Amino acid sequence: MKVLIRYLVLFAGLLFVVALTLAAFGLDVVQSINYLWRGAAGDSVAIGRTLVRATPLTLAGLGIVVAWRAGMYNIGGEGQYVLGGIGGAIVAKLLVGIAPGVLSVLIILAGAGFGALLGAFAGWLQVKRGVQVVISTILMNFLALLLLEWSLRGPLQESKGQTFVSESLPNAVMLMRPDRQSDLHVGVFVALLAVVAVWVFLKFTPAGFRLRVVGESASAARANKIDVGKTQIRAMALSGGLCGLAGVIDYVGLTGRLADGFAQNWGFIAIPVALLGGLNPWGTIVSATYFGGLFAGSEVLKRFTPIGSSLVPAVQGLAVLAFVGLSYWLNQRSEAKNGSD
Amino acid sequence: MVSNSDSGPLLSVQSVSKAYGSVQALREISAEFFSGEVHAVLGENGAGKSTLMGMIGGFVVPDSGALVFEGSELPVGKPFEVRGKGIRMVHQHFMLVPQLTVRENFALVQLEGGVRRLDADRLALDAVEISRELGWEVNLDARAGDLQVGAQQRVEILTALAGKARVLILDEPTAVLSPAEVDELFGVLRALTSQGVAVLLIAHKLSEVMAVADRVTVLRRGEFVASCLIGETSRNQLAEWMVGEMPGAAEIRDREFGEVIVRGHGIRAIDDRGVEVVCGIDLQVRTGEILGIGGVDGNGQVELAEVLAGVRMFSGTLEGIDEVGYIPQDRQSDGLALGMSIEENMLLGAIPNDVFSGGFVAPGKVRNRANQLIKEFQIKVGSAGDSAGSLSGGNQQKIVAARTLSQKPRAVVAVNPTRGLDLKATNYVHSRLIRAADEGAAVFLFSTDLDELAALADRTVYMDRGCFTEEFLVGPK
Repeated sequence: MKVLIRYLVLFAGLLFVVALTLAAFGLDVVQSINYLWRGAAGDSVAIGRTLVRATPLTLAGLGIVVAWRAGMYNIGGEGQYVLGGIGGAIVAKLLVGIAPGVLSVLIILAGAGFGALLGAFAGWLQVKRGVQVVISTILMNFLALLLLEWSLRGPLQESKGQTFVSESLPNAVMLMRPDRQSDLHVGVFVALLAVVAVWVFLKFTPAGFRLRVVGESASAARANKIDVGKTQIRAMALSGGLCGLAGVIDYVGLTGRLADGFAQNWGFIAIPVALLGGLNPWGTIVSATYFGGLFAGSEVLKRFTPIGSSLVPAVQGLAVLAFVGLSYWLNQRSEAKNGSD
Repeated sequence: MVSNSDSGPLLSVQSVSKAYGSVQALREISAEFFSGEVHAVLGENGAGKSTLMGMIGGFVVPDSGALVFEGSELPVGKPFEVRGKGIRMVHQHFMLVPQLTVRENFALVQLEGGVRRLDADRLALDAVEISRELGWEVNLDARAGDLQVGAQQRVEILTALAGKARVLILDEPTAVLSPAEVDELFGVLRALTSQGVAVLLIAHKLSEVMAVADRVTVLRRGEFVASCLIGETSRNQLAEWMVGEMPGAAEIRDREFGEVIVRGHGIRAIDDRGVEVVCGIDLQVRTGEILGIGGVDGNGQVELAEVLAGVRMFSGTLEGIDEVGYIPQDRQSDGLALGMSIEENMLLGAIPNDVFSGGFVAPGKVRNRANQLIKEFQIKVGSAGDSAGSLSGGNQQKIVAARTLSQKPRAVVAVNPTRGLDLKATNYVHSRLIRAADEGAAVFLFSTDLDELAALADRTVYMDRGCFTEEFLVGPK
């Protein structure tokens, strides 16, 4: 109940920030919020649009949650997302012609696997070689983006060789779309399942418990016979796997091919999404949906106003700041109430 | 001793109260502190000692009441101003910046606004001067974090004294010290009182209070119990005031041991800096036996304990210690994950089988088990879902003891398990260790407290520079 009130206060505060931002851009606040709302939740197409954007944010956000809860500050969601797409495209190219349903599954597994490998590598670098995950994952983002650009000009380029994109996936391989009007695909359920799975993992399994202990206090973990290094590497593998899953689900569910602009910063935005969600799986899906709606709504808004697309990053930045400020304020209040000896 | 009790108190606390949520930490406490006296504030864990001292130091804002220093009211909740008036605190957990040198730490407290060029030598001058006066040697260029705890405390006290201290508040300063260091500290406290400083000492060890205090005030569960000159009271009376009844001594047991279950030969280990601190130790312990391992801190005890607990690499052989319960020395960093709930901390070490349901950890069973242990070990908590960090030190240690001993391990490794604990909690932990031995565990008790070893251990060895020096029988008489 307390948590619920906390989130209500937070999201009301964020809405207020959005309104302020709109006003600062010189827009009619009521009219603009109306556009945002219609674009995000006005009808079933709009809701689909929101959910499609919330899907990669949820998955990559979960990836961030898992790593950060283990004390591994993975900033490499973007790179892992991209590698997920690349892994999927490689499998699609190598196994062209096999049964579409099987191929879809293999593509998704490959994407998650590629992301997991990249994450695990960063974890290994920190545990065994002392390279901080924060540093290595930031750098790996650049590597992954360069790898994408190179592969679209080389091994993964479409067969005509005219543009720098990968071969489009056949429709039969793409994830099912329940409604022709909308981009909504069944990947949404993958995200939902992942939320449940991560929640169960963190809260109800010994491995998840150990992961949280390592994140809370590595020294307590060590003194209680938990293999800190192994736990951290595994957390990074799981984290990278979820971010890779985000990428490959977008590939096989939405875009059907890779292009230079494939990533669209989802892997980065996943960080504020996870933080806004309190590094909690359910909180993450809520904040991912909020951001998804913001993106979906601003796409409609920008059709009616000249500055709609620049609004989104501004609101994102302010939303994170507002979040930090509001949580600080709420914590102060609860501390003032409770306190300790 | 220059007692100025005739000229009125230097500092007085007038009917202060403080509540944290539903817990009344202090209820209308009044006390007077005189210059030139060591005034011990005595009480069990949770008696409100730290809250009272925090109030004087300006860290805790009272709900009601007033603090009067030299005839004028002390600002509340303004630690910096309070410090400026000469009221200084040495916290239980040190406040030094570990990355800075001793000199820089000295300079830091003297640093005021408007300084353009940092002249650490000049700023540290006062503290260095005091260290010379007190005959305390400190290495000014050592990193504070590299010093042993005893030396760190010296630096902490010196930073507190720098710049004209009138009142020195020490929060359980002896908890981390060896007996020799305690004597040295008390000598320094006497030197300070002879210069007219009022020393406020938070304590719960009766022997120390009797040894050093001029005056004593006893608190119990946030209430004022008594205050008097030390000559007007006795150890027994203080104990009665503190706990409300006489604590029973640890029970004496028949010593009957089984076969040798833990055998170690030529154990060597290095510490975190790569220095060999355990230098070829042989040991044998039988079931039901408590092996006491004494010695001054920093002679390899912690590392040997970690080897026995299976969390430190070693060379040599060690048999029969697969199933071990570990009560580490530092409950705050090693024993507990303070940010996690009490019930989850009860799962550390080894997750017990009885909290699973269909392969998953069942929160209901975790809660039930926690509540059982809380009841059995008499841990004072609001709810098992509260964070372990919200508890007092004694209750934190009880969590560690409860989860370790309730698993009935075949071997127990405990390092200073009663450090910082009050009488009741200490006796309780002792009785549980004895019970573990009675039930057939081999118990390794690492302690710097000789009384503790004498009371509990069937055999005591001393550790000095990584080796056992002598082995002789010290049994409960």
